[in-house]
Amino acid sequence: MAISNQNMQNKPSIKSELFQVLRLNVQTYTILLALIGIWGIFFFTTNGTYLAPQNISNLFRQMSVTAFLAAGMVLVIVTGNIDLSVGKLAGFVSVVAAYLQANLWFKYLPDQPLLSATLTVIISLSVGSLFGALQGYIISYLRVPSFIVTLGGQWLLTGLILLVTAGKTIPANQPWFSDIAQGYVPIIWGWVFGVVAIGFLFWNMFSSRQSKRKHGFELGSIYIDLLSTSFMALVILVYVYNVNSYKGIQNPVLLLAITALIMIYLSNNTRFGRYSYAIGGNRDAARLSGISISAMVFKIFILMGFLSGVGGIVLASYVGYGTTAAGAGYELDAIASCILGGTSTLGGVGTIQGAMIGALIIASLSTGLQMMNVAPAWQYVLKAIVLVLAVLADVYFKRKG
Amino acid sequence: MDNDIILEFKNVTKKFPGVIALNDVSFKIRRGEIHGICGENGAGKSTLMKILSGVYPRNTYEGSVIFNGEELILGESAIQEAGNKGIAIVYQELTLVPTMSVGENVFLGREPVERGSINWNILYANTREILEKYQLDVQPQVIVKNLGVGKMQMVEIAKALSEKAQVLILDEPTSALSETEIDKLMDILGILKSNGITCIYITHKLDELFRVTDKITVMRDGKEIVTELTKELTQEKLVKYMVGREMKERFPKAKRTPAGIVFKVENLQALDPNEANRKVLNGVSFDVRKGEILGIAGLMGAGRTELVMTLFGEYGKIIGGKILLNDQEINPANARQAIDAGLSLVPEDRKGMGLVLIQSILKNISLPNLDQFSSFFRIDADAELQASMLQSKSLTIKAPTLEVAVETLSGGNQQKVVISKWLLSKPKVLIMDDPTRGIDVGAKYEIYKLMNDLAEKGVAIIMISSDLEEVLGMSDRVMVMCSGHSTATLPVAEATVERVMALATGMSS
Repeated sequence: MAISNQNMQNKPSIKSELFQVLRLNVQTYTILLALIGIWGIFFFTTNGTYLAPQNISNLFRQMSVTAFLAAGMVLVIVTGNIDLSVGKLAGFVSVVAAYLQANLWFKYLPDQPLLSATLTVIISLSVGSLFGALQGYIISYLRVPSFIVTLGGQWLLTGLILLVTAGKTIPANQPWFSDIAQGYVPIIWGWVFGVVAIGFLFWNMFSSRQSKRKHGFELGSIYIDLLSTSFMALVILVYVYNVNSYKGIQNPVLLLAITALIMIYLSNNTRFGRYSYAIGGNRDAARLSGISISAMVFKIFILMGFLSGVGGIVLASYVGYGTTAAGAGYELDAIASCILGGTSTLGGVGTIQGAMIGALIIASLSTGLQMMNVAPAWQYVLKAIVLVLAVLADVYFKRKG
Repeated sequence: MDNDIILEFKNVTKKFPGVIALNDVSFKIRRGEIHGICGENGAGKSTLMKILSGVYPRNTYEGSVIFNGEELILGESAIQEAGNKGIAIVYQELTLVPTMSVGENVFLGREPVERGSINWNILYANTREILEKYQLDVQPQVIVKNLGVGKMQMVEIAKALSEKAQVLILDEPTSALSETEIDKLMDILGILKSNGITCIYITHKLDELFRVTDKITVMRDGKEIVTELTKELTQEKLVKYMVGREMKERFPKAKRTPAGIVFKVENLQALDPNEANRKVLNGVSFDVRKGEILGIAGLMGAGRTELVMTLFGEYGKIIGGKILLNDQEINPANARQAIDAGLSLVPEDRKGMGLVLIQSILKNISLPNLDQFSSFFRIDADAELQASMLQSKSLTIKAPTLEVAVETLSGGNQQKVVISKWLLSKPKVLIMDDPTRGIDVGAKYEIYKLMNDLAEKGVAIIMISSDLEEVLGMSDRVMVMCSGHSTATLPVAEATVERVMALATGMSS
């Protein structure tokens, strides 16, 4: 980060301060600009339908599974590891969920859709977490590189998926369970959540200013803080208005928002998060500071497994099936989301927020290109170009800054 | 004999933010001579060599360097250029690829290629030719990691010579060598000289200077103090030039009255974690009192860093002996346990082990101490900030804010961040492994004062330093180590340079 020669002496004008804020966050903004650019292009090429409520609604739901995986992947990569198994793990969990729903509960718990769905969720999350724990144990305590362990995990899960499905598709479209990812938050509650979120943003802004003042820190201009917070608030309002004019906020999107908030909090405000970044920044310094690297990496892989479980449930519920191909390639989308969002492959650097935007970019590209009826071959080519260009721009700006 | 000048420094000045590393340095080096450069740490020797080797390109310093009658202008990819022009450095830290053979290392990046593939026969034949010409006793096909440090150095020299080096710079070449290896190196230098190669020999070991050099330049605080023929100098004269008049003020002396024993190590024995069955510690005993500074002296390889890392639970496997803190036996199995027991370690390698360079000062200071400010689900940011600010203020860390990444700070300020982080854990025993390594004189002085303050407040300090003057200047008592065991602990009044060196080299006194 290029904040070394920040001149704090003379009171800067709002304009120069705004410029400085932009410059310091150029990484976040590059990726946001890329997103806006992509939306702009699709808006014109689809004559506006791209940003229509129904499509925005779909777009956010489409990103959700990848985004759950990416939220965990950030910490995995930050600690200098990688997890190639998450796509197949989500897939395996979705197949297990479908199997439970269609085969077991149908037989042993007939006509108890709520109980069935609850049990499915609990078991699915446990399966994800356990698998994460198994891999985490081998990586952290037995010291096998995560790349190898999780590649093996991917192969193993591919096999397990085939075993559970026996090569067939299992339906998972029972009531309650389907609602998890196909349902909508009632319109009125959508507004309530939106308003609460906006209230939280402003509360957060004022309390952070207050804390800075208390410690005699230089306070940035209140207008800039108000401006950026208002902008965020506006984004939330527009989003809620937009999806509410279709069917409302989708359940998985709300679930994702809550997950992302928890993960952001975890990475910024807890020892768990702080230690993760320290390990990635300098393993030896972290170790000498009394951090148990094995224990941390173990926990992070459990968390990754848990989030893969969440992704798997959403996947099964949304698709309505458990299929043999479930989750294939999702791990790479999740990794790409992290990198697009500024996570460093060298470890130590990366944010959940960035990864969420990264996931949104990837989903935006896919849906946009599909809407334009671009041939699948060219979809891949264009996605490749955008991915590399976006990271190239990021590298370029970082070097200049 | 050829009398012309191969290299001349003309009014070279190099400034870093806040420090003048070289101040108007001018002197000449004759072709075919062995020219010694000596001076204390921070005298500017390394900076001078970095200019020669192109680490600092032409536009980053003032003055000029004349090489073979022409100004030496090194640009962007300067290190390669310097090599091409005939200036080569044998670094303190060896720069070989350990998994490759001697021949591969010697010709790395310049492999003899025929029709797109490497001709291994030519490569090894050429390597053998160079090795034989300069009587370097190494086999071309051996894998480098199987060689000892002395032989690795020979490979480095061969590599430099294969690049047709006219000037060979040896930077502290003997710091990791044994006596016999040093003798061998001295012989090699003689052979190089007879082959007309100019050597610049940087060291702070005076006897070596008198053994091999023709001429000596003494540097101090970035200035060239004197350049004289070796035969016209004596050890006494040289020391006077090196130390200058400020010797007395180098260490702020404090009157301390150490109290009872806080920390005690009895006959500690430990195994090398990388090489089972090899003892890194073989009978270390010492104690430290409340409010005392105990210096640990010893040569490289004596096991000083290994000792403190083992005490901190992060190195050797303890197989015998006791560690007592306030008369309670402790057995730290990792850093966390050591910290919780009341130990703190300022590690030797500040950037590699002490700091997370990409993170802010705040995050670095609080890292080992987050338990103080945290409940299970929350770090109390206010408390963290307050405590860290207090530390950074009392140590006068110079930075615009605590949010600044530590990689942007100077060495002295970085070290203050490391010390802050370890003081915040309120240690009973503070272990400092070479705390002033690579930082400028002013910052050193501040760190010495800080150590005195801490001792006065009742902290027991254990300090390792490879600078013997520093050990003698700062400690109340000096423990000397030699090949893994403690040979003696002397009150500082009885610890003379000669006596400590005798104990460190294992001479029976």
